[in-house]
Amino acid sequence: MDPACRAGVLAPGPGGPVTVAGQRRSRTDFPRPAPRGGTTTGIRTGGDLCRGVTLRLRPEPVHNVAVRPASPPLHAVAWLVWAVAAAASVELATSPVYVAVVVGVAFVVVSVHGEDTPLARAFPLLLSVGLAFALLRVVLTAATTHTGADALFTTPSFTLPRLLGGFEVGGPVELGVVLQSAAEGFAIVGVMAVFGAFNAVVSHHELVQSAPRAFYEPGLILTVSIAFVPATVATVARVREADRARTGGRVVRRGRLLRLVVPVMETALERALLLAESMDARGFASGPPTRADRVAGWCVLAALAGLGGAFVALVGRARGAALALGLVGVFAVAAAVAVASRRSARPRYRARRMGARDWAVAAVSLAAPAGLAVLALSGDETLRWAASPLRLPEFDPAAGLALAALTVPAWRASP
Amino acid sequence: MTAPALDYRGVGFAYPGGDPVLAGVDLAVRAGEILLVAGPSGSGKSTLLRCANGLVPHATGGRFRGEVVTLGRSTRSHPPRRLADAVGFVHQDPESHFVVDRVEGDIAFVLENLGMAPVAMRRRVEEVLDALGIAHLRDRSPGTLSGGEQQRCAIAGALAAGPAALVLDEPTSQLDPQGAEDVLAAVARLNADLGTTVVLAEHRLERAAPLADRAVLVAGPGAAATRLAPGPVGDVLAAYPGAPSVTRLGRLLGWDPPPLTVRDARRLAGADPRLAGPPPAAAALPTPGGTVVAARGVGVSLGGRAVLKDVDVDVRRGEVVALLGRNGSGKTTLLRVLAGLLAPGRGEVRSAGRAAYVPQDPDALLLGPTVRADVATTPRLLGGRDPEAVDEWLAALDLGALADRHPRRLSAGQRQRVAVAAIAVGRPDVLLLDEPTRGMDAPSRAALERAVAGVAARGGAVVLATHDVELAARCATRVVVLGDGDVVADGPSRTVLAGSLFAPQVLRVAPPFLTVEEVAASLAAPARGDR
Repeated sequence: MDPACRAGVLAPGPGGPVTVAGQRRSRTDFPRPAPRGGTTTGIRTGGDLCRGVTLRLRPEPVHNVAVRPASPPLHAVAWLVWAVAAAASVELATSPVYVAVVVGVAFVVVSVHGEDTPLARAFPLLLSVGLAFALLRVVLTAATTHTGADALFTTPSFTLPRLLGGFEVGGPVELGVVLQSAAEGFAIVGVMAVFGAFNAVVSHHELVQSAPRAFYEPGLILTVSIAFVPATVATVARVREADRARTGGRVVRRGRLLRLVVPVMETALERALLLAESMDARGFASGPPTRADRVAGWCVLAALAGLGGAFVALVGRARGAALALGLVGVFAVAAAVAVASRRSARPRYRARRMGARDWAVAAVSLAAPAGLAVLALSGDETLRWAASPLRLPEFDPAAGLALAALTVPAWRASP
Repeated sequence: MTAPALDYRGVGFAYPGGDPVLAGVDLAVRAGEILLVAGPSGSGKSTLLRCANGLVPHATGGRFRGEVVTLGRSTRSHPPRRLADAVGFVHQDPESHFVVDRVEGDIAFVLENLGMAPVAMRRRVEEVLDALGIAHLRDRSPGTLSGGEQQRCAIAGALAAGPAALVLDEPTSQLDPQGAEDVLAAVARLNADLGTTVVLAEHRLERAAPLADRAVLVAGPGAAATRLAPGPVGDVLAAYPGAPSVTRLGRLLGWDPPPLTVRDARRLAGADPRLAGPPPAAAALPTPGGTVVAARGVGVSLGGRAVLKDVDVDVRRGEVVALLGRNGSGKTTLLRVLAGLLAPGRGEVRSAGRAAYVPQDPDALLLGPTVRADVATTPRLLGGRDPEAVDEWLAALDLGALADRHPRRLSAGQRQRVAVAAIAVGRPDVLLLDEPTRGMDAPSRAALERAVAGVAARGGAVVLATHDVELAARCATRVVVLGDGDVVADGPSRTVLAGSLFAPQVLRVAPPFLTVEEVAASLAAPARGDR
C-alpha cells in the first residue's frame, strides 16, 4: 500500500493535525522525476486510494480560521450571474434612489465576502474611478448643454474652433442640466460599484476555468493583467515618494509627470516580462498545436474575412451582401469557439461544480432584474427620473423589494 | 556514476548587441547536490542559471553556443515551456511569479499545463505544500503574503512537476533575514528529504554557504565566464571577497580548510594563540559635530497600528548611525519621518539641514536612459549646482564603467548603487539609506561603505536602516536598535553590538574583534612595534 496513505490512516482523528512522522513519510514518498506522460496513470491509483483520507486529514492550523469564511466561497459563475443581474438592475432602474440601493448592496456584499486580496482592496479605487467619471461627465455636460432655463451661475464662455465641432463651451450653468447629468453619472458609479464588488469577491481563476476551453488562454492573460492594477497603484505611491525624496521633501513640478510615469511604466513592463518567463518556465501553452487549433485558426480567419467584407459591403450600401457576409462571419466565430473548445479537455485542479447554494444565489439574483422589467412594462414611473420638471425621485416599495433580492449572497454567509 | 542532473556542454552566450557573458562553459551538476553559484554583480550568474531551462536564449535572443541537457532533452531543441517538468526555475523577485490568485491553484498551474490527471494533481499539491511547510497558506492570495512566504510558494510552484533540478536565482536577495532563513531552510530540507538537486545563486553567503555541497565562482564582469571549476565550498570561497566573514578570517589566519560556520570557526579560534593578542585599540572616533536632525518624542500610527511610540534620536554631523531591528520595528518609518516625507502624529523633528532619503526600492528612482542622466537629474532639480558632483559620485560608487548603460539593464545590486548615487549627489546634510545593501555583492558593499565614510568625513551625517549587522560593524560609528516602535539601545557600535545576541560573526568567534580588518590590523601591529 502507498506509504502516504498509511501515514494518513495512522494519524489521529479527523481534522486533527497530521503527525510529524506522517508528514515526513509523505515527503519521502515525493515522486521522482518520471518521463512525461508516464506519470499520470501510476499516480492515479495512489491518489484514488488516498483521496478520502487526504480530504479528511487536511491540516487546519488555528490562525487560518479567521481568514477562511465558514462556508465554501460561492462559485465564480454564481458571482458572474449576480454581477450581471446587479448591473442590469442599474440599467433598468436608473433613478438615483435605486442606484443608491445597489451601491449599498455592493458594499454589503464586499464587507461580507471580500477576502484579503489585493483586488478586494482595489474596490474603493474602482469606486473612485466611477466617481471621477461621473464628475467629469457633469462638468462637461454642464459646460456644453444649454436649454435656456434659469442659470445657477454663469461662467466665461468661448466658442471652439470649427475643427473641434464649433460649439460653445461655458456660459450659463443650469440646475436642471447639472442634476440630470449627475443622476446619469451616478448610474455609472453604480455599475462601477457592482464591477468592483464582483472583482473583490470572485475567484478570477475559477471564472476562467469555468469558461469554454477556447477562452482559457486569453481569459488567463486577462486575469493576470487585472492583477496588475493594485501592483501598479503601489508602484505609483512608491515612485511619488521617491521623487520627493530626491530633493529632500520638496516637490519640483517641472518635468514631474515624466519622472513619475517612466519608472511606473518600466517597472510594470519588467514585472510583465518576469511573469511571462515564470509562466513559460511552468509550461504554459506547452502542448504542440493540435488539429483543432489549426481548424479554429482557419475559422477565425474566415470570420475576420466575413466581418471585414460585411463592413465594406455596408459602406458600399450593398445591404444583402453585407447581411450574408456578416452571417458567415458570425458562424465562423461560433465554429472557432466550438472547435477550440473540443480539443482535449484541460485538466483542472480541484474543479468545483455549481452547488445548490450557487444555483439558488444565481436564481434569486436574476429575480431582481426580472422584477424590475415587469414593473417597467407595467408602467412604473419611478424607475427613471428626469430633472424637468424638478422633483424628488420617488421610491416604489415593489422595486425596492426586487432590488433586495440582490443581497442574496450575503444572506447565509453572515453569522 | 549517474547522469548529471544538468549538463552544460560548451555553453557560450552574448546578449543581442553585447559582449560575450559566457564562453565555453562546461559544468555538470550532480544529481542530488546543492551547487552554490557565487560571483560579483553582473558577472553572468543569472545568465548561467537561465540557460538551465532555456530562458537563455529562447526568451532573450542573442548568440548562443553549445547546449544544456536535462533528462536527455537539450535546450537547443526545447523551449522553456517544454522543459517545465525537467527544470524548476525561480527568480529573485518573489512578487512577479504568481499567475493564480490562490496559493494552491498557483502550485497546480504547472501540473494543469502538463496535463496531469486531477486526482494525481490533488495529491501532488498536498505533498508539495507539506514539503515546503506552507499548507497553512493554501487559501491565501499570494499578494498578501510576506516576501519569505511568497518565495516558498514560488519554489513550491516550480517543484510541483517533480523536476530533475531546481534552479533558484538569488531567491533571498529581496528578503529580510527571517524570510531568507525560512527559504533556505526549506531548500535544505527539500534536498535532504527528497534528494532534490538544487542550483542556487546567492550574494548573502553567511547562510547559503554552509548548506551547499559544492560551490562555483563565476568570473568578474568584463571577462566572460569560462571553464567553471566547481569544488568544495570552503576552498572555492576562500579567495572570494564576498565570502562569509568567518571564511575570510580563516583565510587570514591560514586555517585549512577555511570554516563556513561560526561553530567551526569558534573551534579553530580556541586553538589559535594569535587571537589572544592585544584587543584592538579603541579606534579614534571622530568627535561628532552639531546635531543636524533630531527626533523628539516622535510617535507615528499607520493604519491604526502604533509604528513608532516615543522615539528620541539625535543625528550629529560626522556620524554614521546604523538603525537595526526586525521587520516591522519601525526603521523605515523613522527614516521617512527624519526625511520629512511623513509628518509624525506626536512629537517633532528638528532639522538644521537638508535630509535626503534613498528608498528600499531603487527602481522607483531609475528614469533612464543612462546611469549618468539618472544621477544628474537630482542636481538639476536642486537648481543646477555643482555638476562635477555627478562624476564624483559615479566614481565613488564604482559606477564609472556603467555610466552610459541603461539603468534598467543592470543587476539588482548595481541598480541599488545608482539609486544611492542619484540621491547622494545632491549633497544633503543627512543621507538616509533604507536597506542599501539588498542584493549587493561584496565589491559594491565595499564601495558603498567607502562612500558613506566619505560623507561623514566631509561633515555630513548618514543614517542607514539595515538588517546587515556585518555592515553595521564595518561602517557605523553608532548603532540604534529599534524594537516594537521604541529605541531599545543607542550607543557606540562596539558597545551595542558586543552586548547583542545577533553580533557580527567575527565578534562571536574572536571577541573583542568586530571585523576581519581589525584582526588583520592587530596581527600587523606587533610587527610595526619591532621596527
